[in-house]
Amino acid sequence: MDRTWQITLMYFFIHLGLIFFLYPGDVISSTNDGHWLPVIIGFMVHLAAITVYMKGLSFIGRRDIISLYLEAGKGWPLLLLLPVTVYFLLIIIITLRYCAEMMTIVFLSNTPLWAIMLLFLLIAAFIAIKGIGTLLRTGVLTGMLCLPVILLFTAASFQNVDWRYIFPLADGFAFFTDSDFYQSFFAFAGGFLFLGFLQPYFTYRKKNIFIAALVLLPFFLFSVYIPVLTFGQATASTFHFPFIAALDSINLSWLMFDRITIFFFLCLISFTMLFLTMVLWSTIRVISRCIPVIKPSYLTFALPVLIFIACMAIPNWEDVKLLFEWNSYLRFYVVITIPLSTYFFGKRLQRKVDCHAAD
Amino acid sequence: MGFISRIKEQYAVSDDFFILNDYLLETPVILMGFNSLMDWTLTKQNLQTYINTAADTGLGLEEFRTVLGQVETASGMDKASAGLLQGKLIIYFEQENSFIVMDTVARTLDRSITPPVNENVFQGTLSSFTEDINSNIGILRKQIQSSHVNVSSYTIGSEETRQLTLVYYEGHADVNLIEKIKMQIEQNKHQQIDNLQQLSQRMMGFRNWTLVPNLNQTELPEEAANFLRNGRALLFMDRLPVAVVLPSLLWDIFVLGSDRHMPLPLMMFLRALRVIGVMLTLILPGTYVALVSVNPEVLRIELALSIAQTREGIPYPAIVEIVLMLLILELIIEASIRLPKNIGPTITMVGGIILGEAVVQAKLVSNLLIIILAATTIANSTIIGLQQSLSLRIAKYIIVILAAIYGVFGIMEGLVLVFAYLSSLHPFGIPYTSIMRCKKEVNHG
Repeated sequence: MDRTWQITLMYFFIHLGLIFFLYPGDVISSTNDGHWLPVIIGFMVHLAAITVYMKGLSFIGRRDIISLYLEAGKGWPLLLLLPVTVYFLLIIIITLRYCAEMMTIVFLSNTPLWAIMLLFLLIAAFIAIKGIGTLLRTGVLTGMLCLPVILLFTAASFQNVDWRYIFPLADGFAFFTDSDFYQSFFAFAGGFLFLGFLQPYFTYRKKNIFIAALVLLPFFLFSVYIPVLTFGQATASTFHFPFIAALDSINLSWLMFDRITIFFFLCLISFTMLFLTMVLWSTIRVISRCIPVIKPSYLTFALPVLIFIACMAIPNWEDVKLLFEWNSYLRFYVVITIPLSTYFFGKRLQRKVDCHAAD
Repeated sequence: MGFISRIKEQYAVSDDFFILNDYLLETPVILMGFNSLMDWTLTKQNLQTYINTAADTGLGLEEFRTVLGQVETASGMDKASAGLLQGKLIIYFEQENSFIVMDTVARTLDRSITPPVNENVFQGTLSSFTEDINSNIGILRKQIQSSHVNVSSYTIGSEETRQLTLVYYEGHADVNLIEKIKMQIEQNKHQQIDNLQQLSQRMMGFRNWTLVPNLNQTELPEEAANFLRNGRALLFMDRLPVAVVLPSLLWDIFVLGSDRHMPLPLMMFLRALRVIGVMLTLILPGTYVALVSVNPEVLRIELALSIAQTREGIPYPAIVEIVLMLLILELIIEASIRLPKNIGPTITMVGGIILGEAVVQAKLVSNLLIIILAATTIANSTIIGLQQSLSLRIAKYIIVILAAIYGVFGIMEGLVLVFAYLSSLHPFGIPYTSIMRCKKEVNHG
């Protein structure tokens, strides 16, 4: 079944959800001037990764990457799928805990963390149980509701912009030595891996993903530049969430709400929720395919419970950050190896098919 | 046991059953039927006319019998029974042990075609479906004059039989969908179907525990014709004055075929209104609870203060307040359906007093809540289909409860949950949230 539009939109929404939270803060603290350079470099890496990945996926036809690796021979599944699974699990735990913490900071100061995480997990598990079709459709419906809000407030956030802050345009490549720069790859990595898991269920035109990626570029730039242009680099670098702070500074006199940030924030959280569900679904797929003994239905119940326990076991905010840092090594491993291995295995597979055809 | 004694055993206890000895071209016959289902006098006259003509033209008994109807040997009771219950006359020939099922002059037991009762028409065709299945199909055939409209009839049920008819537009409807529906009907032909719940569960194999109606229904031939053109299938059940639409989709609650009698911008405006209506129904009550009890800081300070002022002296939390009033509102809606039309306005008046003034003056609920409730009820009524509007009414409680716990975040996640639920439904493999047009067009979300 061809679901190009749904999948492209899903890719777009998931990345929007990832962009606005952590990414601006990381980029702003990685360099003093010329923020476009790290953004563009990160984006290029992202583009290169999806190019290789898409190329690899187009070789393997209607297979998904799990069966590709399982067919590749001994050792490979362990080397590739195990890190992916661990990475996915860590992402879910970090994102979940992170969102819950943010929520308590921003507007639910009296609600306990576990209650927020429980709601998140319940909804994610519900969608994951219902399958990928449900997830894609939910994504489109949620997007139809949230996208106008995000576009409106992104446009409104130019209210307090001072364009002179855009200079100086370049500041060299010192950010390469800064760990924050590598942290910023969170927004580029991980979001696109799901594209390799869809194949047996749905097909899609790979070209549309590139178009969606290009549409994302302005949002990457906005998310960094809006706080910089509003506050200036020196002030913006002091915020944890510079974009949210920039949004807080907007005053729309015709709106009856005081803090429009909250709506923007909610829409982003919903997109993050889609991301979470997608990762949860992918994890369930990987585990149930590699260990067929476990029934997927048991896994969909057991995995959220495990994740919930893991989230509760994290003592405080500092540990979330630490976990996030550890995860960045795994992130680079996954982002580099998965597209490349898909490409090479895919190519090998195609050569085999060609050989058979020639015989 | 003989044919006659078996018939007698089964039906003679009913007083409207008659069994008479007579002569047909000098052959002794036995006539049977229900005089509650046929006009016996007229039927007898008709029969006499036949006999006279036959006598005049010198027709033999064998030929005459084929003129009256199909000759059946009286081995099985099924055909005779079915004929009797459909108001036919059975002519039994004792000598040959065979019978004829003859058409009769039926009593008028159906109402005439009237304007719809449960659905309102805004500038469209006024006639509506009735109880008689053949009239319904006739109305539909008048609405779509095409040789591609196919009608397949089934007699369902074993003890109590009933006619079920599937109508579809060949070339517009998806072949797989029609095959699936036909297969379901063939498989479950012997099930007893009395209502739409049984139709959806026993016949179509849908799950019973769904919050959204699996079968959409319409009273309006114009809408039914539009559904057919858009590739849906219709089911008619005898004695049910609606067309059941398969599959039911989310899009149906926003879109009415007769919208297209208006210019495009007006049509889009109306449809946008319905979408807004749905969103408001879902969001408004939850927003009240969230903003009053969990996240007052979202509002401008002036507004937050004035809301707080309206709630001054109200002794319970916002969630109790709103659930209480929503419940009263639901009761009013239900009561006004139950009551006869001439007592109905009383409810409106009494309800109006409660909701309008008294409850606020008694400091039981806040002014603002009354506004929210009124707006919600109005918004709720904008969508198409009574059952769908009921689903929506239930869905709003989920959001109210989530809003009471999680504030505005609860509203958002409640909406995601509702979306996820809607997305998870796919009757006959067609996603509930898809837009269905002619076949071979791709569904986009």
